[in-house]
Amino acid sequence: MSRIPTAALSKYLLQGQVSRQGCLRLTRTPQISARAIALRPAIVSSSHSRSLHTQTAETPLSSSSSSSSAAAAPSNHVPLRKQLKDEAKKAKAAGKKKKKNASNQVVPGWELTVGIEIHAQLNTARKLFSEATTSSNDESNRHVAYFDLATPGSQPHFQKETLIPALRAALALNCDVQPVSRFDRKHYFHWDQPSGYQITQYYEPFAREGRIILQPRDGIAAEDGDGIEVRIQQVQMEQDTAKTMAQPGEMHWIDFNRTGVPLIEIITRPDIHHPATAAALVRKVQILLNAVDACVSGMEAGGLRADVNVSVRRTDDPNAPLGTRTEIKNLSSFKAVEDAIIAERDRQIAVLEAGGVIDGETRGWSIGSTETRRLRGKEGEVDYRYMPDPDLLPVVIGDDLVNHLRESMGQLPDAEVDELTEVFGLTAKDALSLVALDNGARVEYFWRVVESLQSKLGSTISENPACFQLAANWILHELGRLTSNPHDESAQDLGFTSDGECRRVPVDALADILLFLYQHKITAKVAKELLWVVHRGNVPDQYASVADAIETENMWFHELSEEEYAKLADQAIEGQEDIVAQFVDTTGSKPYPQGKLMFLVGRMMRLGSEERIDPKNAEGVMRRLLQEKYVPALGRAEE
Amino acid sequence: MLPEAEKDTPTTISIIESTDEDQCLHRRSGRSSPPPPPDASRIRLAVKDNIAAQGLPTTCASRILTGHEVPFTATIVAQIESRLGAELWGKTNMDEFGMGTHSTNTPYGSVHLLEGRSAGGSSGGSAVAVGLGQATVALGTDTGGSIRMPAAYTNTVGFKPSYGMLSRWGVVPYANSLDTVGLIAKEVAPIQEIIQAVCMEHDPKDPTSLPATVRERCVAERQYYPSSRSTAPDLQAQGLRGLTFGLPIEYNIEELSPRIKEGWMQVTDKIKEQGGRVVPVSLPSTKSALSAYYVIAPAEAASNLSKYDGIRYGKRASASDSAEDSDTASSDALNGILYAKTRGEGFGPEVKRRILLGSYTLSSEAVDNYFKQAQRVRCLVRRDFDRVFRLSNPLLENEHDDGSNEQQQFDLSDMDESVPLESKFGPTQIDFLLCPTAPTTPPKLSDIAKQTPFDSYMNDVFTVPASLAGLPAISIPMALPKSEEDLVDFGGVQLIGQFWDDARLLAVAGHIRSKQQ
Repeated sequence: MSRIPTAALSKYLLQGQVSRQGCLRLTRTPQISARAIALRPAIVSSSHSRSLHTQTAETPLSSSSSSSSAAAAPSNHVPLRKQLKDEAKKAKAAGKKKKKNASNQVVPGWELTVGIEIHAQLNTARKLFSEATTSSNDESNRHVAYFDLATPGSQPHFQKETLIPALRAALALNCDVQPVSRFDRKHYFHWDQPSGYQITQYYEPFAREGRIILQPRDGIAAEDGDGIEVRIQQVQMEQDTAKTMAQPGEMHWIDFNRTGVPLIEIITRPDIHHPATAAALVRKVQILLNAVDACVSGMEAGGLRADVNVSVRRTDDPNAPLGTRTEIKNLSSFKAVEDAIIAERDRQIAVLEAGGVIDGETRGWSIGSTETRRLRGKEGEVDYRYMPDPDLLPVVIGDDLVNHLRESMGQLPDAEVDELTEVFGLTAKDALSLVALDNGARVEYFWRVVESLQSKLGSTISENPACFQLAANWILHELGRLTSNPHDESAQDLGFTSDGECRRVPVDALADILLFLYQHKITAKVAKELLWVVHRGNVPDQYASVADAIETENMWFHELSEEEYAKLADQAIEGQEDIVAQFVDTTGSKPYPQGKLMFLVGRMMRLGSEERIDPKNAEGVMRRLLQEKYVPALGRAEE
Repeated sequence: MLPEAEKDTPTTISIIESTDEDQCLHRRSGRSSPPPPPDASRIRLAVKDNIAAQGLPTTCASRILTGHEVPFTATIVAQIESRLGAELWGKTNMDEFGMGTHSTNTPYGSVHLLEGRSAGGSSGGSAVAVGLGQATVALGTDTGGSIRMPAAYTNTVGFKPSYGMLSRWGVVPYANSLDTVGLIAKEVAPIQEIIQAVCMEHDPKDPTSLPATVRERCVAERQYYPSSRSTAPDLQAQGLRGLTFGLPIEYNIEELSPRIKEGWMQVTDKIKEQGGRVVPVSLPSTKSALSAYYVIAPAEAASNLSKYDGIRYGKRASASDSAEDSDTASSDALNGILYAKTRGEGFGPEVKRRILLGSYTLSSEAVDNYFKQAQRVRCLVRRDFDRVFRLSNPLLENEHDDGSNEQQQFDLSDMDESVPLESKFGPTQIDFLLCPTAPTTPPKLSDIAKQTPFDSYMNDVFTVPASLAGLPAISIPMALPKSEEDLVDFGGVQLIGQFWDDARLLAVAGHIRSKQQ
């Protein structure tokens, strides 16, 4: 075989950009089929739903060997929703309906071993070795220094400020920061790598020997019990590559803005034995990196990518060495991590059970598929020819810097989750989502709302726990409702900032709403309406403040007096004698007819002016009057 | 397509570009009236073609960079222009990317001063420009002898300063850890003037440029710098009294021509006449140094040259004639290998040879036995120098834990037994090493054509050790005894000093040179 794939595959390997024109053309596929395949990525990128469509259609093509592949082709034109339904039906009929975790985490007789490498973009103002600024969305090729283009005669200039987020990350991962570390060159040719090598830390990384504790609440497999510790082998700094944009025809556009942007690579030891735990680890790393402000964006935005090394061995001999491992490159979601590991584990077991051997090779995974696919084997392996960079001095990191960063790092997510569950009464699940949402900006927002409420209330959390629990619930659930309308793109982003502000629902506005609600000055219904008012920008455009909106629209809660409630109850009870009859003899074995009570309360709400009624109080009044007045009256009427 | 230069190849080409194109063409063709008389008071600075000067191409004498102009000026060029009012005179020919010993690996036509003889390489063009009097000072680069060798072959003075003294920003690297910018002139004085003017200047753009604080620390222990604390002896009055010169016994190799050896001994006699002391010294790692150099330099070169793919700058192979590669019709790839066509056409054979060599010694199967081993040898070479010099290396931590200056026991185990001991601690410690620059006089180009690449690598045996250790070294002309077979009556003798002893090295070299004439 020719060595053509080296060039093509480095793209798979380094960019995860799978089926692009230039790349597939190089594989000497016949012209026509190459073109047909080459069209696919254009469809994938053009719309989200279409990409689902393509991938599901692809599954039978790649997984079945016989006639079904021919039948699958026309299904391209079946509407997506029908197709999904049909497939679900088919899957159900075949008894393949996906079961939750329990069954797919373990294969009896086999042990799975997984190690993970995670690449994360550091949150820095400048590139690793030039003064060019980092930017994600600016016009192409605007942030490029001579060195980024590998201009002859230019030299690297290490930006020491990039160490700060890198060190925070290392500390969050409990690593030993190395007093001296060095940069090495990793060589391979690709157009997104102007100098022909990537500068990384191969021989002497800046951080070693860390660990991450995973608890059940982090989403580990049930088999891992109360939790496990995953050791981190090392964390190294390295350069990102240029971005390639495939153009129609044989053209590729290259944007060098991303060239040389600093990354860290986190390499774990092979301490993971269950797929769900691997996904939990990647999620946890993302949460930790966000919490210490080391990272720009999460997996969903492409700021984090994972490669997994997978091997299996039989459990009968505990002294057996680990099996041959394969590497699956470029996984871009937590689900992909879990699914790819399951698929690769099952493939390896099938091969071994059939008497085969596992080749140490690199494999790929596409979202939605059921099998990993071979990218290249040992013989196609690129020899990176690592060499210490002779232009770059060793990086010497002082204890004073490390200590300062350690002390100023703030609370790590685990401690924060503990506090949220213990002090604010959140469930572990809610606390975890609060910490993970919006790359950590949501929980920052929560703390600012808490702070604002405390000053408005003039009291502490322990005196009014209910008020702060209300805040947590609203920030998790009510704010989520604002973005639940899938037809309004503009509403999808609430505009959380990393310092805990929210563009669409400012801290102060939400604290006002919550405070009035907690103090019964407005009803829950009004409170929810006010949230929309704020979200639409009517405060401050139309109303000066939340209070002003309530005042102007006359939404203050003027609750009915006791007598007014009683009068309303009288009205509601009129003509409902047969209902009242069901409340007779409620002291006995018969359960209290709560449903009927609520029916009567509902009548009160309809007959009276709703905005002046507190349903809880109305219920109390009705219950009392039933017992004291209506039921006895019924008895008297019968006599 | 090659540049103009190759079309009308004159007998002597040293200049491939010039700030004044007309003048440059006159010089090249030799047809028109002579150029206007140069301003004698200004330095006419020739610049090797791997050093950037904005407004002129920087091609490193490689087809792959045909017509390429680096969009900024090298720090060293700007410093010499602004501090000394030098006039940038032109760019000079060289071995492609600095790889070669005879300035024959160039698409611009080979360089020579003496008819049919090598002018040395790789800074041959710079040396010839000076040798012909066209430039007063020339900038070159020295990676393993690329300044000293041409100086020895053109009867000029070539100086390689300590690593880290002159900025490399704007200098296209061959092997970064060895590359040093250096100077060629007919005498030592103009070089001394430039070094005195810029030796304290740190360049923040070059990460290997020594920081100002370290420069001050180095200078504090040295003499003959403008800011040196101790008063330096007046050489005119005192001669070389008090100075000890070491003759490395390992340099007396089989390949050393008898006439060069004789010239070397004559210089030794001159030094003794001047009151200097001359002693034999042992540098046991010398034999391994050349091998280590030819592992390290090609490895770094292979890495550095990966950037030449014809995409962002330079020459990209055209697609039109890639018929054998029909399915990559518009590609610069060959048989599907990215950039293969561009790099195959763009690099000359010696560059390709060293890229292959470097790629191999860095490969996972060879890196332990070659690259890492060579780095160990490099440490041994440096240690050899450190223990023969009287001055300590200011870059090393003080090796005496108690801070005293007590003499350490010399490790005698691997020292040649012919070296006499000075005291119970070991042999005499010296101020400078004195040795030939090249083992022979400039070889005939016709003989070079018959040589294997390995033969020409042997030429670097005396220059490579100082490069590996980053030490200052200077080659000055020496007279050779008359001979019937070989009419060349000059050679180069080399002085090597301890790190940052550049100023004293230049002063002493200048004195020896003045006593020769």
